[in-house]
Amino acid sequence: MSVKYIPVQWNRNKWFYDLVMLIGVVAFLVLFLFVSPDLLSHEFPINPQVHNARAFGACAFVMLTVILCIGPLARIDTRFLPLLYNRRHFGVMTTFVAITHASYILNWYFSFSKSDKFSALLFANTSYTQLAGFPFEAFGIFALICLLILAATSHDFWLKFLTPPVWKSLHALIYVAYIAVVAHISLGILQDQQNHVFTLIFIGGALAVAVLHAYAAWLDWRGGDEVATQSEGWVEICGPADIKNGFARIKLMPNGDRVAVFNQDGKLSAISNACAHQNGPLGEGRVISCLVTCPWHGFQYDVTNGRSPAPFTEMVPTYNLRLTDGMIQVDPEANPPGTYVEPVAIPGWKEVPA
Amino acid sequence: MSNQDKPFFVGYLDIPGSLRRFLVLACLVGTGIFVATGLLIGSTQDEPAASGFRFDYGRQTVTGVIELTPYPLLRVTQGNDLIKPGKTLMLSGQGKFGVDAQAMGLEGGLVEVTGIILQRGTIDMMQLAGGRRGMKMVDGDAPDMETEPLGRWKVAGEICDGKCLNGAMRPGRGLAHKACAALCLVGDVPPVFVSTQPIEGSDFMLITGPDGTRLPKAAYDHIGQFVSAEGDLERRGDMLVLKLDAETIEVIDG
Repeated sequence: MSVKYIPVQWNRNKWFYDLVMLIGVVAFLVLFLFVSPDLLSHEFPINPQVHNARAFGACAFVMLTVILCIGPLARIDTRFLPLLYNRRHFGVMTTFVAITHASYILNWYFSFSKSDKFSALLFANTSYTQLAGFPFEAFGIFALICLLILAATSHDFWLKFLTPPVWKSLHALIYVAYIAVVAHISLGILQDQQNHVFTLIFIGGALAVAVLHAYAAWLDWRGGDEVATQSEGWVEICGPADIKNGFARIKLMPNGDRVAVFNQDGKLSAISNACAHQNGPLGEGRVISCLVTCPWHGFQYDVTNGRSPAPFTEMVPTYNLRLTDGMIQVDPEANPPGTYVEPVAIPGWKEVPA
Repeated sequence: MSNQDKPFFVGYLDIPGSLRRFLVLACLVGTGIFVATGLLIGSTQDEPAASGFRFDYGRQTVTGVIELTPYPLLRVTQGNDLIKPGKTLMLSGQGKFGVDAQAMGLEGGLVEVTGIILQRGTIDMMQLAGGRRGMKMVDGDAPDMETEPLGRWKVAGEICDGKCLNGAMRPGRGLAHKACAALCLVGDVPPVFVSTQPIEGSDFMLITGPDGTRLPKAAYDHIGQFVSAEGDLERRGDMLVLKLDAETIEVIDG
């Protein structure tokens, strides 16, 4: 959370996250670039430029694979959520690694000719009508453009400027980029491999991404948020005893929005489940220091009015609610973001000691 | 609803104690993935063919007769310890350039060439030094050079550029190298066919179009692919030249 835009809001956890990420990337590159040539001991070694290009290309693939595994892992087990926290830095780092890969390719295979290297990249191979020998470079260019767009718009300025739904849709480009990378590798380097270790790692990585996403989607489908039932224009949530102190119950509203009804010290309040930052699931968060805290990036809101504490300015919609016949009911019409709603006291509520 | 039994992470707060062990394990596993993949992928790269610039030989100077196939060849008449008379050298310029401009008008003439040898198996190429040092006419009568017709052949293998194949790039063939090879051929570097089986004792042959023309552009789509093709084969010194009929190129599965 911030009241102004600064490049990076560093904190200890972010420093640690980036440090671990850098250790992994540097270890990969050092082992590939400087240790593996001795292990290979080729009489006529691979050109250094080609070796470097392969190292950075393979590293970018592994990074992208790990990045795409974090999302479903966090949905399967919330203990992985800290890996999601600073994933944007991971993505930006991947873009730089991919740029380095592209630079080596461009300055080696596409240089030294009578044509400009950027032009040569586009015209050297135009066999678009055949699979074997297809210009796989086109997939690499496309993936790199996607990564550049994602890196350039990764800052919270763009998140607020574009609005979270648009920003999230734009950043779903990462999946298109990954598919392009898979095609780039499949139609490129894999066509010439005699040793299939990389092929196995590549298939394993791509399968891990696909299987984890499928499994997480299945879990969501099986245990997804319940659809609220309607009663006389209000939607029914649950009984007050079903919501533990400091936690929420999420329900899917008839219009497709999700409401999170919180119990804060025996008083019920309802707010939108979508965090104003990245639409994170507020109802999966909890109340810390009297403020609802988003599980994704820790954005906080006063549950009675949906406002972030001063000096922050984020706001989410609130909902009117009532208790009828022992059932919490919510008005499906959301109030404008930041609207105060008097909390509804739970009759006879007593905190259960932990 | 979130599970109150599970630790709750907030990025700007201290990590809950019960989550620390899990995160340390996740960090170790994540780093381990990078270490393992970096080492495994890096240490299992295929070995390129024995080929490359022979800088260790030093700059070589030999004399011979220029033949335009149309790609210029040098039939060596006065060699040295490394390059014997009777040898046929393909010629290239610096980078992805042929030496057509230098060789133009010199067909059948005696020239002295200076440059660095690129070597792969039985096939040799010389990358000429820049300027007039690379190729110059010399006095003397050029002997007649024999060309031995070897009939019509159907060959199976791969179309490459002669310079990268000879080790200017390692690896210098295959589908991943297709665009680079096409750029070399556009720059008039001599094209080469790598046969799957030796033909007349050689795995490699210079390829041209029929009737002394350049390799047809239609063949460029098949660079790096496993193909079969037909053409008239001839021997020029110790080098085979296949006058390839592009219409006979067929992609071979597998």
